[in-house]
Amino acid sequence: MGAELGGIGRSVKRKEDARFIRGRGKYVDDVKLPGMVYLDIARSPYAHAKILKIDTSKALAIPGVLAVITGNDLVPLKLAWMPTLMGDQQMVLPTDTVMYQSQEVAAVVATERYIAADGAAAIEVEYEPLPVIVDPKKALLPDAFVLRPDRKEKSNRIWHWETGDKAGTDEVFRKADVTVKEDIYIPRIHVSSIETCGIVASFDKVEGQLTVWMTTQAPHAIRTVIALVAGHLGLAEHKIRVISPDIGGGFGGKVPVYPGYVLAIGASVLTGLPVKWVEDRSENIQADSFARDYHITAEVAAKKDGTVEALRVKTIADHGAFDAAANPSKFPAGLFHIITGSYPFKKAFVEVDGAYTNKPPGGIAYRCSFRVTEAAFTIERLMDVLAIKLKRDPAELRLQNFIQPAAFPYRSALGWEYDSGDYGKALKLAMEKIDYAGLRKEQLEKRKRGELMGIGISSFTEIVGAGPSKHFDILGIKMFDSCEIRVHPTGKAIVRLGVKSQGQGHETTFGQIVAEELGIPVADITVEEGDTDTAPYGLGTYASRSTPVAGAATAVAARKIREKGRLIAAHLLEASPDDVEWKDHKYQVKGVPAKSKTMQEVAFAAYTNHPQGMEAGLEAVDYYDPPNLTYPFGSYICVVDLDRGTGEVHVRRFVAVDDCGVVINPMIVEGQVHGGLTMGLAPALYEQINYDDDGNIQGGNFMDYLLPTAMEVPSWETARTVTPSPHHPIGAKGIGESATVGAPAAIANAVVDALAHLGVTHIDIPITPWKVQAILKAKGVAE
Amino acid sequence: MRFQGALDIAAPRERVWQFVTDPLAVSVCAPDVQSVDVIDPKQFKIVVRAGVGPIRATFNLDVVFSELTAPERASVRARGQAPGSAVEMLSTMDLVEHGPERTTLRWASDVTVTGTIAQVGARLMQGTADKITQQVFTCIKSKLEAPAATGG
Repeated sequence: MGAELGGIGRSVKRKEDARFIRGRGKYVDDVKLPGMVYLDIARSPYAHAKILKIDTSKALAIPGVLAVITGNDLVPLKLAWMPTLMGDQQMVLPTDTVMYQSQEVAAVVATERYIAADGAAAIEVEYEPLPVIVDPKKALLPDAFVLRPDRKEKSNRIWHWETGDKAGTDEVFRKADVTVKEDIYIPRIHVSSIETCGIVASFDKVEGQLTVWMTTQAPHAIRTVIALVAGHLGLAEHKIRVISPDIGGGFGGKVPVYPGYVLAIGASVLTGLPVKWVEDRSENIQADSFARDYHITAEVAAKKDGTVEALRVKTIADHGAFDAAANPSKFPAGLFHIITGSYPFKKAFVEVDGAYTNKPPGGIAYRCSFRVTEAAFTIERLMDVLAIKLKRDPAELRLQNFIQPAAFPYRSALGWEYDSGDYGKALKLAMEKIDYAGLRKEQLEKRKRGELMGIGISSFTEIVGAGPSKHFDILGIKMFDSCEIRVHPTGKAIVRLGVKSQGQGHETTFGQIVAEELGIPVADITVEEGDTDTAPYGLGTYASRSTPVAGAATAVAARKIREKGRLIAAHLLEASPDDVEWKDHKYQVKGVPAKSKTMQEVAFAAYTNHPQGMEAGLEAVDYYDPPNLTYPFGSYICVVDLDRGTGEVHVRRFVAVDDCGVVINPMIVEGQVHGGLTMGLAPALYEQINYDDDGNIQGGNFMDYLLPTAMEVPSWETARTVTPSPHHPIGAKGIGESATVGAPAAIANAVVDALAHLGVTHIDIPITPWKVQAILKAKGVAE
Repeated sequence: MRFQGALDIAAPRERVWQFVTDPLAVSVCAPDVQSVDVIDPKQFKIVVRAGVGPIRATFNLDVVFSELTAPERASVRARGQAPGSAVEMLSTMDLVEHGPERTTLRWASDVTVTGTIAQVGARLMQGTADKITQQVFTCIKSKLEAPAATGG
């Protein structure tokens, strides 16, 4: 019955696609309520300025404009500022100072979307420009203008965070045979999800009930945040319902709370009308949380023979005007200390300084589990820098150094306990698939002819599935997740989870876990997420945590049902429960396969013929607190050809070998890898949000911010190894982010490899044709 | 952005001074002026339409003569906004006399543009600003050198 069951390991077609490909998905902007009004936002043209005066009279004179909200209107409601997840505060609307370009300055509520936009354009604000700081290194200079006078600390340093053995690391560096050092900038980029952010807030003044449809990856957390931040306005958690409908891509950008959400909720509570706010594309790129923006200096100490010994990293993290990153509370730099990667460094020391600048706030985990992309890129780049210095083949150097399979569970120098891995196997498979030896020969021949070809490797280790309650919380709420399963009398089931799909295929994969565990065909299972009135409490989907945490909860909840089902089956089979076992997706009397009951028969009996003394019904819930994180890994190899005339990088081949433990749905995993690779190619070659000295955004729209399309993306070649997670109930590790994390270094390494014989050791991403051409000209090899 | 230049005008320094410090007179040479509203001899408001490439907007500018040392040196600060954009301009003009009928006008201008126009039009801005500046000074020269010029 394998195919119809659709259990673990089957490429079941995505159940949700039936509505998506027919255009029948229901997104926030599809929500239309009677009497609904629209909110739009006036934004600052200045990156830093005092607000001298806001004149709303012309906006209010436009027929259809119902209200204008300014920062001063929010002060009596105690809503002009709101807390961030990282212990900072951020402005909802400014009262006297704007901190970055496109910051929200005032909101207009109107009967029509276009009237709201006209109203926003008619608001007149008088500004007095203030000094602008866009470079975090300048922000940290002792005489720098203090950007955040609201804080006790009169400095632009938000925090200093460090981990590891400083003295021990320095000692190894002093005595090392070989050291290498590189300055690496990982530029500010944006998730650019196809659907921008939005909300419909509807407050019922009679019932005191607030319902919001919102583009959020974490609806339960949002409900609690609303109750905590707006409790003084009479919003209590039992009267708040957050619905996260279909979401067109999240990638971390839909974790934070943006001022627009707060303004729409506030406008609805004040007016009693449903209020819709949906960003346009430029607002999304210019004002929503950014990702990356890490200025890293990294050093490796090694023996003459290439054995790595110690790692030292110093980083400045540009957080913009407010620290509105979305990391677990204890980790201001996320899980950046996974930076020892796939290698057994004996000693390591990492320090990070957070800095304020006149840029939008953020520091979100763009399709990566909290700064893991920054870490993986740095260590994989550094391994190549070391290979160049030692004149070693980068594949050979990695194979020599990898943490060996027998060493797992492995405790890293910075304290993580890696659950399982076989890094050599993955790299060797990738080398074989791409014909690594053949490529090196080809490269040598091409170099003789003056052609520039490069091969780049990235053997990354990820850290996902936050996380164990001992260390992981957001606003104090532990990062468990949940699943509730109800089996109906006819043997069908509904499964509800605390996470929220944004396109990952949860309705299919979580159904497959239940199918496997309970013998109920996946077609008979409804998976529902995103409604706080019905789903069990959970922390949401980001950081590849859905399968490691909620997927584990699903398996455990199903096993609770299976255990109760065993008692019912024993009752039906008139056997002792000890003699009944779960085998081949049904209950059997041990040794008598003919005497069996299906889950469907057991489910019917649970409501019609349950044993005396037992509760009727067949349902279970599990709140899963993971004992550890999971550590997916992979080895990617990329081949590039450089155009000596234009400097353009052509990705000729890209082989991705991933290991995410046990695979639930190979087709979905393949799709996740393809999407992730594309999102890894993007920052490697194309994407960057830059700022000029006045704080003007360069790259605030799709004319200047280059997303790769089918024109730029190569044909990805994928393969897998399977190293199960020993602590996860089904051995799965999570795949959502591996490719985004692993791909950029493979591409950058390939480009540097093509130029290494000319003395190049590093090029900052994105590696644009302009940068390559400048190098070719400087080296005298441009065509 | 900093712009500067010098202009030889076949007119007496006093007349050039009168022209360039008279808001109504000099506004005639600004591009696409919608209105000029003189508040006092040192302050006026001017509404102009300006743009870079495909982006055009109406700017409300507050202009102040921050220095007036007749007939040698004047400094002007203009600040204003259009929806989503803002501009700030600090300019100085020095007038050097070369005989009774010849004057050199040396000028320098620091221009800061922020917002939508700066984002979208960044690559076109320098060229556009150059062009507008050329037009303004060519206009000033021709007005002053015209035989029937009255200074406004």
